[in-house]
Formats: sequence, structure tokens, C-alpha cells
Amino acid sequence: MSYAVGTLQLNNPDTALIRMENITKRFPGVVANKGVHLYVQPGTFHAVIGENGAGKSTLLNILYGRYPQDVGRVWIAGEEVTDLLHSPADAIKRGIGLVSQHYALIPALSLIENVMLGAEHALPGGFLARKRAEARALELSEQLGLGNLPFSARADQLSVAAQQKVEILKALYRGAKILLLDEPTATLAPQEADALFALLQTLTAQGATIVFVTHKLREVEAYSHAVTILRAGRNVGDFITAETQRDFLLQRMIGTRSGTPLNTRTDLTGAIASDSTYPMIGESPFNAPFVPQPPTSSPLFQIENVTILNTRRAAAVLDINLSIRIGEIVGIAGVDGSGQRELSEAIIGTRRIASGKLFLSGRELTRHNVRQRQKLGVASIPEDRHKNALILDFDLAENFLLGHERDHSWGGGRLINRPRILGIVDEIIRRYDVRVGHHGAPTLAQNLSGGNQQKLVVARAIESQPRLLVASQPTRGLDVNASEFVYRTLQGAKERGLGVLLFSLDLEEILRLSDRVAVMFNGRIVGVLPRGEATAERIGALMTGADSALTLPQGGQLP
Amino acid sequence: MTGKVTMGGSLGKSLLSILAGLLVAGIIMQVSGYNPWQAFSALWQGATGLHTGTAAPNDLSLGAGKFAIHLNRYNLAQSLSKMTPLLLCGLSVGLGLRAGLFNIGAQGQMLAGALAGGCVGFIGAPNGTFPMVLHIPLVLIAGAVGGAIWGAIPGIMKAARGVHEVISTIMLNFIAINLATYLVTHNLKDPTPGKMAAQTAPIAKSAWLAPLVPGANLTAGLAVALIAAIAITFLFRRAALGYEIRAVGLGADAARTNGIAVEKTVIRTMAMAGALAGIAGAIEVMAIHHRFMPSVSANYGFDAIAVALLGGLNGGITLAAFFFGALASGANFMQLQTQVPESIAGIVQAIVILFIGIRTFKPKQSVLVAALLDDERRLDDEPF
Repeated sequence: MSYAVGTLQLNNPDTALIRMENITKRFPGVVANKGVHLYVQPGTFHAVIGENGAGKSTLLNILYGRYPQDVGRVWIAGEEVTDLLHSPADAIKRGIGLVSQHYALIPALSLIENVMLGAEHALPGGFLARKRAEARALELSEQLGLGNLPFSARADQLSVAAQQKVEILKALYRGAKILLLDEPTATLAPQEADALFALLQTLTAQGATIVFVTHKLREVEAYSHAVTILRAGRNVGDFITAETQRDFLLQRMIGTRSGTPLNTRTDLTGAIASDSTYPMIGESPFNAPFVPQPPTSSPLFQIENVTILNTRRAAAVLDINLSIRIGEIVGIAGVDGSGQRELSEAIIGTRRIASGKLFLSGRELTRHNVRQRQKLGVASIPEDRHKNALILDFDLAENFLLGHERDHSWGGGRLINRPRILGIVDEIIRRYDVRVGHHGAPTLAQNLSGGNQQKLVVARAIESQPRLLVASQPTRGLDVNASEFVYRTLQGAKERGLGVLLFSLDLEEILRLSDRVAVMFNGRIVGVLPRGEATAERIGALMTGADSALTLPQGGQLP
Repeated sequence: MTGKVTMGGSLGKSLLSILAGLLVAGIIMQVSGYNPWQAFSALWQGATGLHTGTAAPNDLSLGAGKFAIHLNRYNLAQSLSKMTPLLLCGLSVGLGLRAGLFNIGAQGQMLAGALAGGCVGFIGAPNGTFPMVLHIPLVLIAGAVGGAIWGAIPGIMKAARGVHEVISTIMLNFIAINLATYLVTHNLKDPTPGKMAAQTAPIAKSAWLAPLVPGANLTAGLAVALIAAIAITFLFRRAALGYEIRAVGLGADAARTNGIAVEKTVIRTMAMAGALAGIAGAIEVMAIHHRFMPSVSANYGFDAIAVALLGGLNGGITLAAFFFGALASGANFMQLQTQVPESIAGIVQAIVILFIGIRTFKPKQSVLVAALLDDERRLDDEPF
């Protein structure tokens, strides 16, 4: 069943397959949903969009029975289920499946065991009906054109895109007719994302109903029938996609704040408005004024023949050469798992380099530890904010001190000067516009939204006055406004003479910020393109290894 | 590392756990045919030394006549003397927990400290060549070093090869106990003809800690333990090292990414934890046994886990150590007075820890309600 424009009765509660009304959900510290309604018509492809923290995931999780709503009613296929969805098991029983941002596969189990999990049938004697399960899974995957999934392989050997397919298969195996997807393309390469949407379209053509959460407007425009916009926990509009435009949706999504014109993500030209809200480094209360440096051609940081092993002692990065100049942003593009993580860790100093050398301003720091590199001017915005950047049980002041706890100018030292740190961090909160509520610096990091957490991480890196900034996925999971802030900060850092190494899976981000783009594939740099030559198509071809001029060793194994 | 160990909680939660423990003990006594009220009364009197009724000759008395309260100094001193090793070992376990390390090895570390302290204590035996003011601190330092070495071993194993500290500290406990037994039956056995006991000869008198209350075991060792408790509180409130230990405990990956030497911090923490338990061992040698023997550590190293879990950190460990010390010594008195077996104290201790293990007594709803007013305001302040 698919809908022609005009026949879709968007907000008709009587025909809706999913009907959620007046949903309110509070968490300690936030109201995630406030009087939200959602009507999804059967057989449609329904997008739910909004900035981070707008309440999209919460809404899906309520529908999936993971959280009970505080207020509100839910109907599925006309039947009221308000008090019947106590757990995901209840939702699955009613034909709902969820593919969340973080895949729930058990790494040590085989693919088919993961598919069966929770829906397994036992043969007499308690043996698993593995053959039957495999036949059914195979039938389903053929129906969907999923290709040959290696059902007996361990789940942790699958690529991210394949894991996602398994998650979808898992939901359908349980008989899901309604599929909920939470930011399904966040970790996929563009080509993989296209393949995913082709699959989802096949599903809707076969009668399934799909609700997907995203903040990528391109996907909404290209694939959805209807779209619901959430902002700050409220529903601010339902639309038939074909009747709206991207700019309009964007306006709705972010609202109009403080009247300044927004630099949208859709602008790929790379023009950055010199916005006055960029925090000036030189204003720091505890740092000397910064003297802006003109961009030069002198190399700041050099990576020479570097090879890095992963935990299984295979080469994750193979014989890489790259140099970053003063006042330059070098973007590192590549499909997830091409060796970017290992390379960034090796530069920060948390991963050992098997062979090769690193130089900062001509000084070798291959064997230096993290702290020594920090002192020489290497700062980082780590990829995993909750794991590597922040300690969520620490307050903002303690988090800001992390890495500088022995530094007197930061209020550290053998004895820590807590009042001094609080003073500094209150100033940082003001200058970087970190929204913390009325408690200020003693607020726990876990009580901040992702964007505000990232502002603190960025502030900590910038305020250490580094010469090289390693930024890994710096806008991952951030909304438009917070992303803009990060972009302005990186751009400002570059203008002040820093070298910036930008690791990102988001091509738009890479194209927008980078002076040069290096593309990684299978642990190697397969191309370095100057700004003028870097296009999404060329990078895309390089990052999937489609560039036939290159022959690469399989899996990046050492010879 | 898998999962975090719940440590302490609010004062209310701790008191609730203690009440639950006493309640269960009371029910067991009732069912077993004892009179729980008499038993608890004797337990209280043995634990705190406070009682009404007739004053003994050495008691301190408050008030007069019917309402007089008397303090039996001996009973209180016995409680405080049991508190001393419990506090030091409790700090040892608590320090480890702050770094995310579950130190089950306080028992072995205490023995290692007692052995090292005892060796230094022998210098100049039987009467000693050093003055007391020099000899006693020397024995304490030796105890700390001995314990630190025994604690650093699992720290190094963890840092270098990822060996889980629960496994390695348990194994090192066995090694310490068996090594101690071997030494006191062979190389270090008391050479006095006719002495068959598995123990060493007495240490020099210049390393003996004098009892503060005649006949009781309480010595200035308690002051050492209290100073250690204050030092640990200071470490976590003010020192960069304390900050680093907490960072490693709460987010080892973030600590590493931001330049904290996680492995070094783990080794340091374990060495410090071992030193605290080692000091407890040295004090037991100087205060009570005046010689080294495997039973010096009694069960203190294991009971200390309960102390740390009940106490949390900020001062709570001191209270918890007093509680369990008083419970043990009170139970002893109770058995003498009422024939209720003193092992009931072990049951109380176990129940308390089981209840502390429950993460929260509050239903989820109340957390949400508490956050409610606050959030309304914040959301409405947002400029849309």
C-alpha cells in the first residue's frame, strides 16, 4: 500500500494505525515529551524529526513499552493499549519492532542466535530449533532482498550496516508490522544509507508501517510520506512531506532563536559567518592573550609511515603519511571502521604505534604519553563523549579540570583549589553559553544535554591553548545549533593558527570545514584532495574503495 | 571491570539497614527461645559500656539515684579496640572502591604488615635498644611498607596484565596466611624451650603499646586510625591524587584520554590501601599480641568489606567501624550475660550488608516527583 499525495489523511485518528495523544514524559532534570500527539497512518513511511533532546527517542521508547508515559493515551490499530504496554515484550506482541541507535546484538552469539533470541522455539528435550529458525530467517531475508547474510558468523564480525540489517530482520522475525527506527543512518556511509532506505521502501510496499527518527532533512525529503516535528518536547506540526520544503521544516525544527540568521547544514559552500558569539580564546581569565597567527605553509604536525595494530594484533592503520599545516583543517573521511579511531587514539597518545613516527613542530612525540603530548600542545575532542571525554558522575568543574588537575593555572596542583576552579568554570559556562540551569559549575555532567556537554568538552580543549586539535566526530548526536557552535569554534581555532585534524563520518561536515580531505579505506589513506577537488562523489568513491586505481590488501592485514 | 559496587548511601539508608539487621536478629533470638530484649540490653551494655542499675567500682557515673547512667570503661574500651583495625582495614577497602577496585585482600595485607612490623619490633628484644618514641613509629612504618608491598602486587598485576583484583587479592590472602603459618612453625618460631605454640617470641618491650584502660586492649592505635581516616577524607576533598583516583574509579577511559596515568594510579591506590591494612596489622602486634602469629588479623580484613560498604567514604567508615567493632565486642558480653551465642553478631552484619546492597529504598515515582517542579521552571524558561 502506498499513498498518493492528497489521499493521505494525516491527522485522522480513526484511520491511524498508531495513535498517541497528549503524551507527557518527565525524567529527573528534563521534560522529554509535553502533550505530544502522533498519528501514523497504515502503510506509511513516517518521519519524526527534531533537534537532539527534542523528545523523539523518548516517544519511540514509550511506544515500544520501554518507558511508561506519565500522562497520555496510546492506541494501536484502533485498540487502546494505554495501560497494556509495560515492556518491549508487550509491544512486540502487538507487532511493533524497534531498531535503536545502539544495536542490541550479543557480540559472542552467532547471527542466527541473535535473530532467534527471545523468540526461540524449543524441540523436545530442550534443544533449540535452529534449523527451523534459519529457514524462516532465510525466507524473510530473501523476501527483503537482504542478500546472503552469514547466519553462522559471530555478530561482532559483522559490519555496522550488516548489524543493522540483522536488527531489522530480528524485528520482522518476531512478526513486526510496525517498525520503529531511531536515527538509523547515524553510523552509515551514504551508499549504505541509500541501501537501507531502499530496503525500508520495500517493506512499506509490502504493507509494513515505518516510523523513523532523524535529524537529516535530506532523508525526510527523499523517502518519507509524512513528517512530525518535535521541538523541546512538544509537537510543533505534522505535515505531508510532499507539501513541505526543507527550509520550512528546518525553521520549524529549530525555531527562531534570538533573531540571528542561521547558517544551515544544508549550506555546503563552506562559507562560515563570522559570528560574534564565537568564544574568544584570548579573553580567558587565566590564559595569556593569544596572538593570532597568519596561515602559513609550514608543517605543524607530521605522520610518517605510521602503522597501528588493533587489539587482535592486525593492522588497523597501515603505513600512513600525512601532514597538517599551521592554520589548516584536514578532514579525515572514511566509512566507519576504516582505521580512523585507531589513528586518532594514536595521535592523542592512548594507543601505541607499531611503527612510524609522529612529529609536532619537528619534535618527535611517537613515544610520549598523553600528558606529555598535552603539554606540547595536543588537545582532543574525543569521539565518545560519555566514555572518553567526560565523567558523567563528576560535576562540570571536575570535568573541566580533567587533564589539568596538576596545573596551577587551572586551579589544580598537588592540592586542588576548588573555589578557583568554580570561578573559572562559571566564566566558561558564560562565555561558551553552556546551559546548565541554576546550579552552575557544580551541576553533574550527566544532567546536561549532549550539546551542552560537548560545549564543555570543546571549551576544555580550546582553553588549553593547543597547537594541534584532534576532533573526532565532534558533532555526533548534536542538534543544528550545537553543531554550528562546534563549527564556528573549529573555524576560529584554525584562524588562530591551530592545526585541526577533523575525523568525521559526516561528509557534509568534512566538506564544509576542511582545507584538505584525506580519505581512509581499509586502514590506508587512499587519497588526499584539496578543497577545490573534494566533492561528495569523489570522496564517496574513495571511501568505499571503488576507486579502481588502487589495489589494497584485504582487511588491512600486515603482509 | 564489571558493574559498580554500591558503596554506602544516605545516612537514612544505612540506619534502615542496621535496623533491618537487628530486627532479623531479634526474630531469630525469639524463635530460638531467647529473650531478645534481655539480649539486646546486654548487647548495648557490652557495646557502649552504658548501663543503669548498680555502678561498678571503676564506672563513670552521670546523675544519681534511679536515673543515674553509668559508663563501664572496660566495655567501651573493648569496642574501641576492635574498632581500630576495622577502621584501618575499612579505609583500605574504601580507598580501593573509590578507584573502582574491589580490594578483598585487606586480610592478607594486614598480615603482611603485622609480619613486617613484628620483624622491626624484635629489634633489641626483649627490652629494646630504641626509645619507645622511635621504636613504635618505626614498627608502624614497617607495617605500612609490608602492607603496601602486599597491596601493590595485585595492583601491578591488574595494571600490567589486567588480572582482576578480586581474584588476585583473594589468592594473596591465602599466600599470606599460609606463609605466616609456615614462618611461625619454622624460621620464626619462638625458640624458648618448651613453647609449642605457633607464634614468634615477644617483640621488644619498647614497641609495646600501653593500654589506655587497665585490662582492656584499647591503645593509642585508635588515634593512628582516626588520623588515617582524616587523611583519607582530606585526600579526596583536596588532593590532586584523590581526584585522579576518583576519576579512574568513575571513568577510567575518560581519565586515560585526558592524560591521567590510569595504570600508575591503580598501583598507587592498591599500595596505599595495603599500607592502611598493614598499619592495622602492626598495631595489633604492638597493642594486643606483642608477637607475630597468623591469628593477628583475626577476621578484620574481611569484616572491613562490610565496614566500607556500610560506611561509604566521607566520615561514614569511621562510624561504620565503630558500629561493627561495638557489635562484635557487645556480642561477646551478651554471650557471657545471656547465653545468646555471639555469632548472632555475624548474622546482623550479613543482613546489614544485604540491605545496603539494595540500590534504593525509594520507589521510582518519588524521584520523578522530586524533579518535577524544577523541570517545569526550566522548560518554561527556554527561549523558543
